[in-house]
Amino acid sequence: MASVTLSKLRKSYGRMDVIHGVDVEIADGEFVVLVGPSGCGKSTLLRMIAGLESITGGEVLIGDRVVNDLEPKDRDIAMVFQNYALYPHMTVAANMGFSLEHRGTPKAEIAKRVKWAAEILGLDEMLERYPRQLSGGQRQRVAMGRAIVRDPQVFLFDEPLSNLDAKLRVVMRGEIKSLHQRLKTTTVYVTHDQVEAMTMADKIVVLNGGRVEQIGAPLELYDRPANKFVAGFIGSPAMNFIPGQITASGFAADGALLPLPEAAHDLPPRPMLYGIRPEHFALTSEGLAATVELVEPMGSETQVTMRLGGTPVIGAFRERVRAEPGETIRVRPEIASVHLFDSDSGKRAN
Amino acid sequence: MRGELSPGAKVAIYGLMSVLLIPFVFPTWWMITSSVKPISDIFAFPPDLIPRRVDFSTYAKVFELQPFARQYWNSAYIAAVVTAGTMLFSSMAGYAFARIRFPFANALFMVVLLGLLIPSEVTIVPLFQMFLAWDMINTHWPLILVPIFGAPSVFATFVMRQFFIALPAELEEAARVDGLGRFKIFWTIALPLARPALAAVGIFTFLHSWNLYLEPIVFLSSPEMFTLPQALTQYTDAYGGAMWNIQLAAATLTAVPVLIVFIIAQKQFVEGLAHTGLKG
Repeated sequence: MASVTLSKLRKSYGRMDVIHGVDVEIADGEFVVLVGPSGCGKSTLLRMIAGLESITGGEVLIGDRVVNDLEPKDRDIAMVFQNYALYPHMTVAANMGFSLEHRGTPKAEIAKRVKWAAEILGLDEMLERYPRQLSGGQRQRVAMGRAIVRDPQVFLFDEPLSNLDAKLRVVMRGEIKSLHQRLKTTTVYVTHDQVEAMTMADKIVVLNGGRVEQIGAPLELYDRPANKFVAGFIGSPAMNFIPGQITASGFAADGALLPLPEAAHDLPPRPMLYGIRPEHFALTSEGLAATVELVEPMGSETQVTMRLGGTPVIGAFRERVRAEPGETIRVRPEIASVHLFDSDSGKRAN
Repeated sequence: MRGELSPGAKVAIYGLMSVLLIPFVFPTWWMITSSVKPISDIFAFPPDLIPRRVDFSTYAKVFELQPFARQYWNSAYIAAVVTAGTMLFSSMAGYAFARIRFPFANALFMVVLLGLLIPSEVTIVPLFQMFLAWDMINTHWPLILVPIFGAPSVFATFVMRQFFIALPAELEEAARVDGLGRFKIFWTIALPLARPALAAVGIFTFLHSWNLYLEPIVFLSSPEMFTLPQALTQYTDAYGGAMWNIQLAAATLTAVPVLIVFIIAQKQFVEGLAHTGLKG
């Protein structure tokens, strides 16, 4: 196992810069998730760590070694690809043992390691099958098996669950997490799914347009997003942003006066965004009046799209809301969970 | 079951298919049956679809009049060497054009493809002069070297390139992470997966070499060096007239290996065509 350090890492394709000086420290044994929307550079960053993409500037260190110019095979990493990338003409056992065989590991040792990995992943019965004879989840497990038999210093996962159906994704998410808890190997995991990021990571790196927006523990990002982008990206349904201005009596938005936390009253009066997560609205009898536009019962909660003054917002309530579109309900934002962002820069203000 | 045809429709369809089959089956049938007919029966009118008299001595004469076994061997080993050589070179070239980024790769590939546009008749005289200078006339070298480095190989390279382009890049990246270099990736990952395309290339190349006619008559002059298509033209009587029944017996023997190769590799061949997007 080893730490991974990305220092001022840059990547350009011709004149187009796609990674703009990224700094990330990944501790030994940590599970780090790179998350961001499509095209944010997360897969490129992972491939630069793997050695599958050249590095335009900066450094990648695995442990104490700068690996910029090393071939993937010399970096002591293992990678699980989005499409599994299993060799179709080899059996499960051959796929898993292929890299060891290529490195001249004795046959008995290969068999032992493959058996060990197959037991961990529940693949014992499938060792002689070919990839085409396996389901999506089983193929994913073989891809993981191929990675773990190597016992590498770092695991790299490139959106490994995106080809699985929703139910299987939840199962495999748990399997990858428990595998990490068992092996304690440093892991870098790329996904665009913020639920995967929140549930699996020790630390999340949020990327946008080739830049790091914020690095932190999942709940840290959820509770104190550094800017509007992170606030909007982490959490589902996404945080509501209500434009307006701080005044002595509260936050003046279009047709509504919203309550502010005590500390926010000291902020200078300037255009701001009032951020409140859907689950941080409470139904009350004497809160702010909101006109219901859409009610979506989810079972565990009810999502209500409503208009607060002139601004559409979403509220998520544990209670069953039986309001009809056009009716008025009364809601109250939890003051302790209010986030304020600068309108221009999008940076957190409170 | 839905979509099942009525017996009447079935009869009509099978009848139509049988009629359409005639132009494909009749020449082969005519060749085989005529090879055992006395020469006078071949031109009888109305023609006999089933031979009235059967005479297998024509097959013995095929071997008496010429060193046919030797010629058979010539065709077989030349086709085998050409097929193996073309498969090796075209797969490597196709892989390089599909996978290795080098300057002017696409332009170079276009230049290579231009080779397909030049008819072999145009190059035959310069080739003759070249092989004459190399002292290779009346040897099998021209019949081996011209297809391996000529138009058939260009076509094979094109087929292989198209196949390798469609091969997922992630497989190669996984192999790189597993520790393989470029040649090992080609040899242990890409090539085994290219089996259907290789089979198609193999069959095309084998057929091309087996049927090659112009080059042998230009480059070869002694009967023991001849290949089969050239040998077939040699079954003539003292006045230069064709000995049809013997010639057709030799033609039947010539067609047998092609049929065997096709029957054995039929599945791979069809898969290969599907993979390469080519039509038969």
